[in-house]
Amino acid sequence: MKLKSLDPRVTRLGISESTDQEIIEKNELDQFETYEAFIETKEGKPFEHAGSIHAPNEEMAFLFAKEQYSRRGMFCNALCVVKTENIKVSDYTDNGIDVYNLVSAIPSGIERDSFEIFHLAKRGKHHKYEGSVMAKDFEDALAKAKVDFQSEKPVFNIWIVKSEHILASDQDDRDIWDTLKEKKYRDAIDYKAGDKIKAFKEQQA
Amino acid sequence: MYGGGNSFEAMKATALTDEDPIKLAEFEARIDRGEKIEPSDWMPQLYRKQLTRMIEQHAHSEIIGALPEGTWITRAPGFKRKLALMAKVQDEVGHAQLLYSAAETLGKPREEMITDLINGKSKYSNIFNYPAFTWADSCFISWLVDAGAIVNQIANSKGSYGPYCRALERICAEESFHLKYGHHCVIHLATGTKVQREMMQEAFNRWWTPMMHFFGPSDKISVHSEILMRWKVKMSSNDECRQQFLDMYVPKIWELGLTLPDENLRKDPETGEWQFTEPDWEEFKRVINGDGPCNKERLAVRRVAEERGAWVRQALLAPKAKYVAPLA
Repeated sequence: MKLKSLDPRVTRLGISESTDQEIIEKNELDQFETYEAFIETKEGKPFEHAGSIHAPNEEMAFLFAKEQYSRRGMFCNALCVVKTENIKVSDYTDNGIDVYNLVSAIPSGIERDSFEIFHLAKRGKHHKYEGSVMAKDFEDALAKAKVDFQSEKPVFNIWIVKSEHILASDQDDRDIWDTLKEKKYRDAIDYKAGDKIKAFKEQQA
Repeated sequence: MYGGGNSFEAMKATALTDEDPIKLAEFEARIDRGEKIEPSDWMPQLYRKQLTRMIEQHAHSEIIGALPEGTWITRAPGFKRKLALMAKVQDEVGHAQLLYSAAETLGKPREEMITDLINGKSKYSNIFNYPAFTWADSCFISWLVDAGAIVNQIANSKGSYGPYCRALERICAEESFHLKYGHHCVIHLATGTKVQREMMQEAFNRWWTPMMHFFGPSDKISVHSEILMRWKVKMSSNDECRQQFLDMYVPKIWELGLTLPDENLRKDPETGEWQFTEPDWEEFKRVINGDGPCNKERLAVRRVAEERGAWVRQALLAPKAKYVAPLA
């Protein structure tokens, strides 16, 4: 028997109604690799971690991130993505302990690569961009970040990324967020109905 | 949107005795201080297991919930409603992506979660096993199923697991549009012509039982639920959510001149509690275990999408790729 649905398009798929189907096992990486997306909500504000996406390559990760995290365009000024495996994660601390205090390495004099530093200022919140350092490797970058960015406010976790691993939107491409001029239909504010209820109640009374 | 009334797995009496008592005390102290748990923190097995299950069920509910609404996009009355419903369905599928990522941070890869959904091993919100016969059904879902979901999600967003809280914050922000849109649609029909009013009323008659089921059966206070509450996994009882929903929405339904198919539904002026006829919990059990009007169709449609899209994913897969769980 073929499945019959209220939706004629589903009926037309000609799917078997039998539940006795072969078990589907998805292969590893069927959903692709993982990327982390960061968003600059307004000009001048630091990039902030928005969330993860799965994508087969960097360009598609960027496109998926744009759909997922910035389709309400007004909250996005710039976007960047990094493959998750390219992010080096420090230890986590809690209860007011600054994770920089666990860093004991001495900064080297070598400035081989540029690294970007992200801070977690409060557990439960998103990581935010802090700045970049020139360093020899990840460990060295962390040591230099301690010199440049440690302050009185504790940091509970640090992400370090080589600058070359970041794919970011260009300021000249900002019009990628200018889609429809009229997008109010996506916002709660476009659905005011108080007057209609009031009129209805008066008519009923 | 999201179905509440999570079913948690039964816990073995030994579940906590196997845990390192010092680490467990540190973990609980962190929660007591109101700090969030992050993916690489130590956590008890039970915490990991129940959260994975809860977030995964939530993600599946977003995907499956998009099916009955999605079929109404082409038949929504007018261009504006089509645009709005399309945007809403896109949001729901996006919510599933956010939630799958949050669940993945606990160690279960996305592939396994989708495998479990398609093969009927995982649960999703039971209400989506019912059919949307008319446009008014779609309006009911947009307004009230989403309203119920928001009650749940706002409670859960104050939980202890960082990635889930962050996903829920984003989700709740988008849900406000769904709720207003859905209410707008229902008002339009309820204050419209006789035919429109009748269509809306019939939808309420059809959906009220599944809506009462939505929050799940009364939860018995057990050692188990006490631990999950202490760990801020479960943030409020099914009954509390149901009461809150009734309190917020029944007056809004009644003011539109609509009736609900339960003669006993009323607010007790003394206790402030809503009284109602217990919905048929045997039906709930039967449907959630697979024997509902649309269970087969929901999974079959998901399975077909899976099978027919497989070649695209295969073609795109980079040979050197390796899996890393999302970070946060």
